[in-house]
Amino acid sequence: MKLRLLAALVCALPTASYAQNCEMKLGAMGPMSGGAAQWGLAMNSAAELAAAEVNAQGGVKLNGKMCKVVVVPYDSKYTADGAAAGSNALAAQDIHLIIGPVGSPEATGIKPVAARNGQVAWNAAYAKNSLEPKYPLMFHIAPGPGVWADAVIKRAMKEFPMKSVALIAPNDQGGTDIASVDAEAYKANGIKTTEEYYQRGTTNFAPIVTRILASNPDVVDTASSPPGDAGVIIKQLRLAGFKGAVGRLGGPGTDEILRVAGGIDVVKNFYWFETVATADPKVREIDDEYKKLLGKDPVGGTAVWADLPAARMTLKAVSIAGTDDAKAVAAELRKLPVDDPNMGKGYWTGKKQFGIAQELSFPFGIGIIKDGKNLGVERQDARPD
Amino acid sequence: MEQFLQAAIIGISLGAQYSLLALGFTLIFGILGVVNFSLGWVFELFLLERLVDDHLATLMLTLGLYLIMSTGMLTIFGPLSMEFTFPVTGALRMGPIYVARENLIVLAICLAMIGVLWVLLFRTDLGRGLRALADDRAVARAQGLSPKLLFPMAFAIATGLAGLTGALVTPILSLSPAVGDPVLATSFLTVILGGLGSLEGAAIAAFIVGIVEAFSSVYFGGSVGALILFVLVLLLLVFRPTGLLGRTVRGA
Repeated sequence: MKLRLLAALVCALPTASYAQNCEMKLGAMGPMSGGAAQWGLAMNSAAELAAAEVNAQGGVKLNGKMCKVVVVPYDSKYTADGAAAGSNALAAQDIHLIIGPVGSPEATGIKPVAARNGQVAWNAAYAKNSLEPKYPLMFHIAPGPGVWADAVIKRAMKEFPMKSVALIAPNDQGGTDIASVDAEAYKANGIKTTEEYYQRGTTNFAPIVTRILASNPDVVDTASSPPGDAGVIIKQLRLAGFKGAVGRLGGPGTDEILRVAGGIDVVKNFYWFETVATADPKVREIDDEYKKLLGKDPVGGTAVWADLPAARMTLKAVSIAGTDDAKAVAAELRKLPVDDPNMGKGYWTGKKQFGIAQELSFPFGIGIIKDGKNLGVERQDARPD
Repeated sequence: MEQFLQAAIIGISLGAQYSLLALGFTLIFGILGVVNFSLGWVFELFLLERLVDDHLATLMLTLGLYLIMSTGMLTIFGPLSMEFTFPVTGALRMGPIYVARENLIVLAICLAMIGVLWVLLFRTDLGRGLRALADDRAVARAQGLSPKLLFPMAFAIATGLAGLTGALVTPILSLSPAVGDPVLATSFLTVILGGLGSLEGAAIAAFIVGIVEAFSSVYFGGSVGALILFVLVLLLLVFRPTGLLGRTVRGA
C-alpha cells in the first residue's frame, strides 16, 4: 500500500511541476539584423505584446491548463534559407505557431518547411504567391498591392498630376513581385511606367538615379525598397535635381525614410501606402499599451500595429482549440471574426487573389506630404474580396 | 555625353570612398598578413597578436568580432537610422551635370590620405620598420625592430582610416548598423583586385571598381552592373592571380 502511495506521489510530481511551469512558446520570425531589421523586430514586438496581453489575463488555455506564453524570436535575415532554417529551429523547440516571416524570399522559404513541420505561420510578404491552397497552414498578415495600389495611385494623382513613373526596387522576389504589380496599377490609370531593379545591398544609388532620370519621369516610386534604401534614393534624386513627387507603393517606413533622406524639406513631395490607418487614435494606443505591459517602447514603427492582430487572433484560437496543434489552431482561426480592438473591423480576404481566404484585411492608410508639409494619413476602409 | 560625364564623376566619387577603406585593409594585410574584417584594435592587441601567424584563425577571429560588434550596435542603438547630415550639402552644377560638394571633400581627403600613407610607409623610419616586418619578420626582429610596438601602430592607422571613412561616407548615405556590410565586401574585392598588400594597387583598384560600378550601373542597370563588376574581377584574377600590383608571396 505504502509502495503504491509512493508510486502515485512520484507519478504526480512531474504533473504538478508542469502545471506550475506550464508555458507555450510562440515563434516570432523576420529579419532582425540588416537593412530590413525594422520589419522583423516589429514581428517580435507584436508577438510580445499579444503574449503580454494574454499573460496578464492568466495565459492561454492549453490542455485544460492556463499556460504562460513565451515569445521565441528568430532572425531569418530576409532570406529563403534563413526562414526555412528558422522553421526547423523553432520546430526543434516544439513551436507550432509562428508570427512571421516578413519578406517574399522568406515566405517562399518557409512555406514547404513549415508545412512539413506542422506549423502555422503568418507571413507579411507582398509576393504574388504569399498564400497557396496547397499550404493551408500559411496565413497572410495584410493584403499586397493588388488590393490597395489603385486607391493610392488615384489619391496621389489628385495631388501630383503624373504621366510617367519610374519604379525602383531590389531585383529579388521581394522587389520584383511588388514593383511589377505596382506598374500594372499605374498603367491601368493611364500612366507610362518603367521598372528599374538593383542588387539588394547597394548602398550608393547615384548611378541608378542617373539612369532613372535619363527617362525624365514625373514621379519616382520606391516600391518595396527597404526604408533605408528609399531614403538614400530620395536624397540622391534631390541632389541630382529631380523636382517631381516620390511615391511608395510598398512596405511602411516613412519615419525612417524622412530621417535618412535628410528631413521633410528634402523629401518635399511624397505619397505612400500605410498598412494601417496610423492617424487613428485607437491604433496609436497600441504603443501606450506596449509600454504599460512591457515597460519599454516597441521596436519596428507602424509595422508593429499591422502585425499585432495576427498574433492576438492566433493566441485566441489556441485558447478556443485548447491546444497549440497547428491544424486545430488554423481551423479555429478561420472561424474567428476579423475585428480587432485597435484596428477595427476587417475581413478575411485572399480567395480572389490566392484561392484561399486566409489573409487579414483591415482599414489601411494613404499618406501625403506636399510642398514639405505633412498632410497626414487618410483612413481607407477595408473591403471584402 | 551628359550621362557619360555624370557616370565618370560618380565613378571617381565611389572610387575615393572605396580607396579609403581598402587602404586600411591593405595596410593590415601588407604588414601583418592578417585578413581583417573588423578593424577593432583592442581585440587585436590582446588576441590577434598571439595568433598573427595563423591566417585562418585571424580571419575567423576578425569576422567573429565584426559580427559581435555589428549585433552589439543593433542591440544598443536599435535598427533605425539616425538623421545625420554632412555639414556641407548641395551640389556644383554645370547644366545637367552635377558634383555633390560632400563627394568633392571626400575625394580631397582620400587623395591626401593616399599621399600621407605613402610618405609614412616609404619616407619615414616607422614606415621602413613596418615594411621590414612585412618582408621578413625574423630578420627585422634581429635588427631590433619590435612587433609589439609596430603592429599596434599599423592597426591604429588602419582603424583610424576606417573611422575616417565612416564619418565621411555615412552622412552621404545612411547611418544604420548594417550600412557597412556591402561596402566591406566591395572593399575586400578592391584589395584583392589591387593585389593583397600593395598600397598603390589598392588605390588604383578602388578607382577602377568605382568607375566600372558607375558606368555599368548607369548603362546596364543596377542588377547587371553588380554582375559586370564581379565578372571583371574574376577574369582578371584568372589571368593575373596576384592582382594588379600584387606579388607572389610563396609558391604553390
